[in-house]
Parts: sequence; C-alpha cells; structure tokens
Amino acid sequence: MKFYPTKLLTITCEILAKKNILDIFTKYSVTGYTSYEVEGRGSRGLRGQGLENEKNIKVEVVISEEKLHDVVEEIARTMFTDFAIMLYVSEIGILRTEKFS
Amino acid sequence: MDFLELIQSNLLTPIVLFFLFGIITARIKSDLKIPDAISEFLPIYLLAAIGLHGGIEMRNTGFTAMLAPMLVAIALSLLFTLNHYQILRRLGKFNIFDSYALASTYGAVGAVTFSVGISFLDNQGVSSEGYLAAILAVLEPLAFILAIFLTNMAVSKQLEEKKKSFGSMESKIDINSGETRSNLKQVLHESITGKAIVILLGSIVIGYIIGENGFSSISIVFDELFTGAIVIFLIEMGIIAGQRLGDIREVGLFLTSFAIIIPTFNGIIGVLVATILGLSVGGSVMFGLLLASASFIAAPAVLRHTIPQAKPSLYITSALGITFPYNIIVLLPIMFTLSSFIHNSESINLFHHVTNFLT
Repeated sequence: MKFYPTKLLTITCEILAKKNILDIFTKYSVTGYTSYEVEGRGSRGLRGQGLENEKNIKVEVVISEEKLHDVVEEIARTMFTDFAIMLYVSEIGILRTEKFS
Repeated sequence: MDFLELIQSNLLTPIVLFFLFGIITARIKSDLKIPDAISEFLPIYLLAAIGLHGGIEMRNTGFTAMLAPMLVAIALSLLFTLNHYQILRRLGKFNIFDSYALASTYGAVGAVTFSVGISFLDNQGVSSEGYLAAILAVLEPLAFILAIFLTNMAVSKQLEEKKKSFGSMESKIDINSGETRSNLKQVLHESITGKAIVILLGSIVIGYIIGENGFSSISIVFDELFTGAIVIFLIEMGIIAGQRLGDIREVGLFLTSFAIIIPTFNGIIGVLVATILGLSVGGSVMFGLLLASASFIAAPAVLRHTIPQAKPSLYITSALGITFPYNIIVLLPIMFTLSSFIHNSESINLFHHVTNFLT
C-alpha cells in the first residue's frame, strides 16, 4: 500500500485560544481538525486543572505544505505572545490525498 | 461590637466552613476534587434557581418597582468601572490592557457571590427583592462591554497615531480597524448569548409564567437544595482559590489592597444608595453585593478573547483568591450590619442621632 507524504500540525494551547485557532483554520480553508482536552506542565506551570476555562486542549490537523506555512505564520504572529500555546509539525503518510487537499 | 459577632457566626456557617475546608484541601495537596461535570453544572443550577425566584417575585411586584434600581445599578456599575480604570492605570501603573481587564472584572458581578449572599440572608431570616435577579442579568455583560469598547478605542487611537507617522502604511492599518469593529459586534453577541445570561433570563421568564403554584412542584430541587448545592460548589471554589494562594505574591501589594478596598467602597455605596431608593434591609445588602462582587467565572472567558494581552493570572487570582473570600466572610456581615443600622435608624431620625453622638 502506498502512503503519500504530508504534514501533521499539532497545537497544544489553553482552551480559550481554541476559537482563535479555528478562525485561522477557516480563514485558510482548512476543512478538518481533531481536538481533545489535555493537561500538562510547561512554562506557565501546571495546566489543565481547576476552572473549566483554564483547561488545555490539543488540536491536530493534517495539512498540505502550502497552507501549513500560512497557518503557522498567522498563529505565531497573532497568538504566541498572549496565549499559553506551543506547536510542532511532523511528517506523516496518508492514504487518500483527496481528503486533505 | 455587633458586626464582629456576626462575622464570627458567619464563619461557622456550612458555606464558609466548606470553602475554608477546600482551601486547606488544596494546601495539603490532597487529590480531593469535585468532578468536572458537577462543577460546570452547579453555576447553571444556581443561576436557574436565582432566576426562578426572581421571576416569581416579579410577578407579584410588577416591573415598575425595578426600573429605578435597575437604572441606578447600571449607572453605578459603569461609573465604578471607569473609576477602577483610573485607579489602576494612574496609581497602580498597570498597562492599559491589564487596567481595563481588572477594571471590568471588578465592575462586573459575581453570580456565585450573589448565590452566597442570598443564602446568607436566608440564614439571617431576611428576604430580598426578586427583581435583583434581573439586575444581575443586566449587569453581567455591562462592564465587559464598556471595557472592551474603551480598549478598542485606545488601540485604534494608537494605530491612528502610528498611521500619521507612517503615511505609506495606510491601507494595512485600515484593514486592522475594520477587524476591531467586527470584533466588537461579535463580543456583544457573545456576551448577550453567554450561558450565564441565557439561563438566568430564561429562568426569570419561566418563573414569571409559572408563579408560586407552578413552582411548588419543582421547589424541592430549586429551593430546598439551594444552600446544599452552594456548599458543594464552594468546596471546588476553595480548592481553586487554595491552589492560587501562592500566586498572590505575584499579584503584588497594590492589587491585593485594591481587591479589598474597592469592593468595600463599592458595597457600602451600594447599600446606602439602595436604602435611599427604598429597598428592604436584605435588598440593600444584595444591591451592595452586586456592586462589590468581582466576576471570576465569566471574566476569563470574555476577556481572554477580547483583551488577550491582559494577564489572566492577575484578574483571576485577585477576584477569586482575595475578593471572593473577603466578600463572603467579612464584607457580607459588614453590609448587613450597616443596612440594618440605617434601616432601623431612619425612623429614629439619623441626624438627631449623629448630633447627639457628637455632643
């Protein structure tokens, strides 16, 4: 079976930053994503406890290289200073390229 | 003194004891925790109960009685928000974003504080006017809308100045100001359709429609269980406040004193104004509490989106870690004593009393 190489963008951030990220996705017509609640420790201390609004989430999106640069640039420019957020990109293989245009 | 006794007896109520218990639980790093679903459910339940009671009583009293208190509360809330901003910006030397975020946190109302107040009055055998629930609903988004509006104004003013110095960048800046305008519209929509306001207004309307008769079938849930539900919720609040006690050092001395002095000032003004407006002993306490309380559940959700530059650790820690415990333990008895004192002495002629005291 042949796997076609593409990118996976993973963002871990505070739950209240989710909306901003989804807005950026919409802006660059990224059509799908997966998110889930997580907890962990980082530069802003232990996160994901207590109030509902203080939780952390992880957003994963399979994305083509061209869109990836625009999306990451906008997230970095508009959100890195004000939000608890980190992101990384990994190389992955997919079967159906038409699903992740 | 009378009110010291009241503070003492207030300390020994289940609400305060369980709150303190929550703080201790967090300090000894116990793994005790109220399940997420329950701590998200309880504020909704408390607001529904407050709304139902308010609606039922408004059916008896009508709408005209609440008009003056409502307008005065709106005016005071806006005035206080501006006042907080000036204090924080000029005396506290906070940056513009933190100042507006904190100013609106303290200008807004705390629904949990309101619930505790109602149950405190119950304990004292005093009731309050039902329409205060409607005032709670109106005040909830107000301070935020003002702060967000003013922040946007200040930011676009700064952009304007930049625009003058870089004439060539005009087109890019225009796009930015368009964004802020749509942002404000979105904020208005979001804060009016926020879950707290929707459940509160919905319950007021339903309470108004069903009246006493319809309520009797659900009173076991919304009446008898009310204080018990607050107690469970306050364990959670105590745990969260306890986890944040360490952060108070970061908040600093200025904001710590602000978090105590401002609610006291606002609350006392509230009690006095409400008494002049003709509210009852309990109603004046609740009116004062509305103005004294700070928002810590709604505030982060609204402010994180609209003023993301402001540090949430400042406004959450001061509102939840300092002001909330102070309000429910110390300020409530103070306002209650004050309110009963001026309500009683009105008939005795206050001025006569004062002149007697002086001579």
